[in-house]
Amino acid sequence: MSPYNLLPRFKAQYDANNQEFSMSGVVRPQAIDELGPSLALLRDAIGRVRGVLYINVRRLTQMNNAAFHAFSRVIIDACRAIPDLKFVVITSSVVGWTSRKFGRLNGIEPNITVEEYDSKFYPGQGFLEEGGFVPILRTQTKMTWRHERTILPRHGMRPGIAMADICCGIGDFAVLVQKEFQPSRIVALDHSISSLDYARRVMREFDIRGIEYTYGDASEMLLDEAQFDLVTCRHSLQIFNRPELILKELYRICKPGGRVYITNEKNSHCLGEPRAESIRWTYNEVAKLFAHFEMDVELGPKSRRYLIEAGFEDIRVETFMVTNMDGDPQDFADVIVAWADVYAGDMATRRGDGPEFVARFRQGFQDHIFAALHPKGYAGWPIWVASGRRPQ
Amino acid sequence: MLMGSVRNEPAGEPTFEPMIQIDMEIKTFVSAWKHCDYVSTYMAWMISQNRSDSVRHSNLFSSAFNELLEVAFRTRHADGELACRVSRHGATDRIELTIPCVPEERQFYQEAVSQVAGVEAKERYLNSVSGDLAPSREIVLLELAVDYNATLRVEEAESDAIKLVVDLPLEGLQH
Ligand SMILES: C[S@@+](CC[C@H](N)C(=O)[O-])C[C@H]1O[C@@H](n2cnc3c(N)ncnc32)[C@H](O)[C@@H]1O
Repeated sequence: MSPYNLLPRFKAQYDANNQEFSMSGVVRPQAIDELGPSLALLRDAIGRVRGVLYINVRRLTQMNNAAFHAFSRVIIDACRAIPDLKFVVITSSVVGWTSRKFGRLNGIEPNITVEEYDSKFYPGQGFLEEGGFVPILRTQTKMTWRHERTILPRHGMRPGIAMADICCGIGDFAVLVQKEFQPSRIVALDHSISSLDYARRVMREFDIRGIEYTYGDASEMLLDEAQFDLVTCRHSLQIFNRPELILKELYRICKPGGRVYITNEKNSHCLGEPRAESIRWTYNEVAKLFAHFEMDVELGPKSRRYLIEAGFEDIRVETFMVTNMDGDPQDFADVIVAWADVYAGDMATRRGDGPEFVARFRQGFQDHIFAALHPKGYAGWPIWVASGRRPQ
Repeated sequence: MLMGSVRNEPAGEPTFEPMIQIDMEIKTFVSAWKHCDYVSTYMAWMISQNRSDSVRHSNLFSSAFNELLEVAFRTRHADGELACRVSRHGATDRIELTIPCVPEERQFYQEAVSQVAGVEAKERYLNSVSGDLAPSREIVLLELAVDYNATLRVEEAESDAIKLVVDLPLEGLQH
């Protein structure tokens, strides 16, 4: 495979609604006249805007010094000619050189500032990234794997394929897949540096080979298009306020004829016996709490619609229930303890919930744990699995 | 042997493990500008597979390496072979670029590289960005030091050639 054939070529666009000039792809001209139309578009944009012009370079993967100089000059000249015009350059932490290089412009003209777009990426990011979730993710994956290992082959998993796990978290799904199905290639991408560090440590310690852990933003990946036979994205669409943007990217990197596989929850359907009522109330509240932070943990049953609207065909949907009867009930209880910690702790506090609400909210989790550990009890956590094929 | 007085080879210079080498006729190389892009993209991709974050590493490496190749492209050449070699020691990747060139060009490289090490490197780089002229080859080398923390030195190669050695500590660059 020759990597350069797959790299996106250069494109410049102006969006008047957002006062945003964006550049993407690779631009390495020999002579500046090759950039004529794009430079003209930038000058034209500068002439039209008021206040701020956003320069979006999130997807500008490569730009040589010649081109950088040409665009910078137009911007610097504009700063000098129009003192009340500000430029905000939007970079991505994923494209390593952009923040440093564009950042230098601020030392020349203070009206040019740089913002790294993905440093505060989605509304609930803090809760899920701050270490606390690592143990939950491990136990969750252990419990879901019992089901998914038999489900995955119905959704395109087989030995020898090239696959990607997007929003891979601490990477144990990739490790399990590697052991069980031996794909020829696994790329595992996440936007949490601490999770990736953890994943790489596990890989080194257990001498696992062949998983390519990659730092990246799922909504704008640097991965080339049409590369993977199977693209998985587990428990993650539901935490983005615009899941369709992520799906579009999953579609893009999937080969025509390959499949995209997603798993999501419908939290309000978590259940247990005894104490069913209290449990039901609490998980209804969980859904509302996430909605407050623009995350849809009720997404599971909407998967079919999302996949159809993203252009997939041959859509398959199934559900499974993780219960206290799979393996050790204590595992189930541990997961609930961790949920309670974050949901009734940090998240409820951030929403401004009072002590009375929090007490009742916690009680439902307690009761779910009680049901899980009760010798005659039953506790469940339902998951929706869905996949679709990218048309040929 | 060391030619520029730029950076002395430290006594216990660590060993760099060779990773990949591409040689080609300089005539072939300069027959098309896009060769810079192809070679830098291809080599970046090859040597980044076993980096902890291959996509990001490959992007940074390609970006820096392409600039070097563009400099080599603009050199006034003697006949001969362009050799690109990449080797690695820990977090640092080393690019060795052997460029056939006429004698005046050697002097250019030595001067350019000693400027890079100079104290005002960053100011001079900034001045060039706000200046009128398209970036000169010397500024391009300077930018590698300013934006990628590269260290550069020049070594004598065979007759009519210069060897540019560039160390890139990309794994350590901040996100
Ligand atoms: C709920 S976790 C799911 C992790 C894993 N797939 C699992 O099932 O255990 C969501 C993951 O999405 C990651 N994430 C959040 N925003 C992201 C983004 N913009 N790009 C890539 N990953 C992101 C988080 O770091 C986190 O690891």
